[in-house]
Amino acid sequence: MKLALVLLAALALPAWGQGGLKSWTGDATPALELADTEGKLHRLSDYRGSAVLVNFWATWCAPCLEEMPSIEALRTALQGKPFVVLAVNVGESARVAREFAGTMTLGFPLLLDRDTRTAKAWGARVLPASFVVGPDGRIRYAYLGALDWASPEVRTTIERLVP
Amino acid sequence: MDRRAFLQTGIAFSTAAALPWREAFAAAEWRSYELVTKVELQWPEGASRVWLPLPMTGDTAWQRSFGSSWSGNAARAQVLSDGKYGATMLYAEWPASTTTPRLEVVSRVATRDRAPDASEPRQDAERLSAAEREFYTAPTDYIPTDGIVRGTAQKIVKGTRSDVDKARAIYEWVVENTFRDPKVRGCGWGDIKAMLETGNLGGKCGDLNALFVGLARSVGVPARDVYGLRVAPSAEGYRSLGVATPAVTRAQHCRAEFYVAGRGWVPVDPADVRKVALEEPPGNLPLSHPKVDAARKRLFGHWEMNWLAYNMGHDISLPHSEGPKLPYLMYPNGETGGERLDQLDPDRFTYALTARALQA
Repeated sequence: MKLALVLLAALALPAWGQGGLKSWTGDATPALELADTEGKLHRLSDYRGSAVLVNFWATWCAPCLEEMPSIEALRTALQGKPFVVLAVNVGESARVAREFAGTMTLGFPLLLDRDTRTAKAWGARVLPASFVVGPDGRIRYAYLGALDWASPEVRTTIERLVP
Repeated sequence: MDRRAFLQTGIAFSTAAALPWREAFAAAEWRSYELVTKVELQWPEGASRVWLPLPMTGDTAWQRSFGSSWSGNAARAQVLSDGKYGATMLYAEWPASTTTPRLEVVSRVATRDRAPDASEPRQDAERLSAAEREFYTAPTDYIPTDGIVRGTAQKIVKGTRSDVDKARAIYEWVVENTFRDPKVRGCGWGDIKAMLETGNLGGKCGDLNALFVGLARSVGVPARDVYGLRVAPSAEGYRSLGVATPAVTRAQHCRAEFYVAGRGWVPVDPADVRKVALEEPPGNLPLSHPKVDAARKRLFGHWEMNWLAYNMGHDISLPHSEGPKLPYLMYPNGETGGERLDQLDPDRFTYALTARALQA
């Protein structure tokens, strides 16, 4: 392990908490370029002009599955507005992610981070980890743990970001 | 005959020393484990806080992290790092109004047995910068590198030239001169100066492997402790070097590494040699016993990875705590009402750890 990298990572750790989305005070937005379960490539930069919820999850993460329906409810509520959900599966195969998708009706893509590099670049060491990226491509909010994304408070916060 | 099946039988220990361990380790594949850490503070006396070590997040050739998830009723949870060693932990806090603070962390890692060839240079070997070399030869609070530590090490390595030879001499000295003391609480805190000054060289992994690290550092060989947890039985049949059940609450174990330019970090575990000697049935085996001798040969340069690494940190100051520094972070830690909980008493704390192997 490179000491310099360790120190850098330590400095970049964000603050988290319950009770609602927390304003982001960490580093610049890391890159995100991943294929989804259907093979379609998604780049975060493709969604400039929209608010983007980047949610890191895994099928073995119970709180991740718990919050997933509320993410879909939020997406449905904001349908027609420039709001996108990118759910990044951490470390699992396309088959596992696809099987999970078959158990739940989700209108957003499931991206595959097989080698977990993207999750690590985003500091998503503990799941679920979610980041709300503004239309300008900057992370605005973050949250560690399960959250009710359909709650009026969260929805209002994100609607303020949507142009 | 299938080699792994043969190793798993746990028979024919008298021939173990002759087995081509390096080949067996090199062929080993990744195995995945799920670790669940549950904390439930039974008697909170005010605001409460918990610090749980997380599996090492940086990927290596022998351990990969797939992340952790958390759930519970914490008012605040945060991933923190000690900033010096990169020891990563989940910090959680509860207000005094929470009657039963609860936290559950699920972590997934994959591990692969380690057997780097320390005898030949490798093109892809990790290189230490001058600053890193200095860092890994520096003293810590409990591991001084001067005085009796250096004096002892200089006698041990007299006549040796290479770092490998120095490390080998220190390893053999630790195996020959120490013993596993089952009365030591936890894994021992590794106060190596006191051990050498008193001549009481009994202890557990936190003591014996710290002794290896301190002696190596004191003669300029970069070395470090690696703190972690056993998560599975030993596939090589050593009952004492694995866990028999999914309950791993008391299965913490630290190991050691030394660095050789052009070869990278080399794993060692002299403390486990002494554990084999004490605990392998029928118990209290002499170093000359074939089981112990095989372990002694193998544990210089090999780690069976039925164990996961948390971190390599020393002298850890827990963030948001005014309590004393920890020699290392290998157990759940907590505070309630401003008082530090006993990290070595999971039944009173309370915390529990379980581990299971995952299907490929």
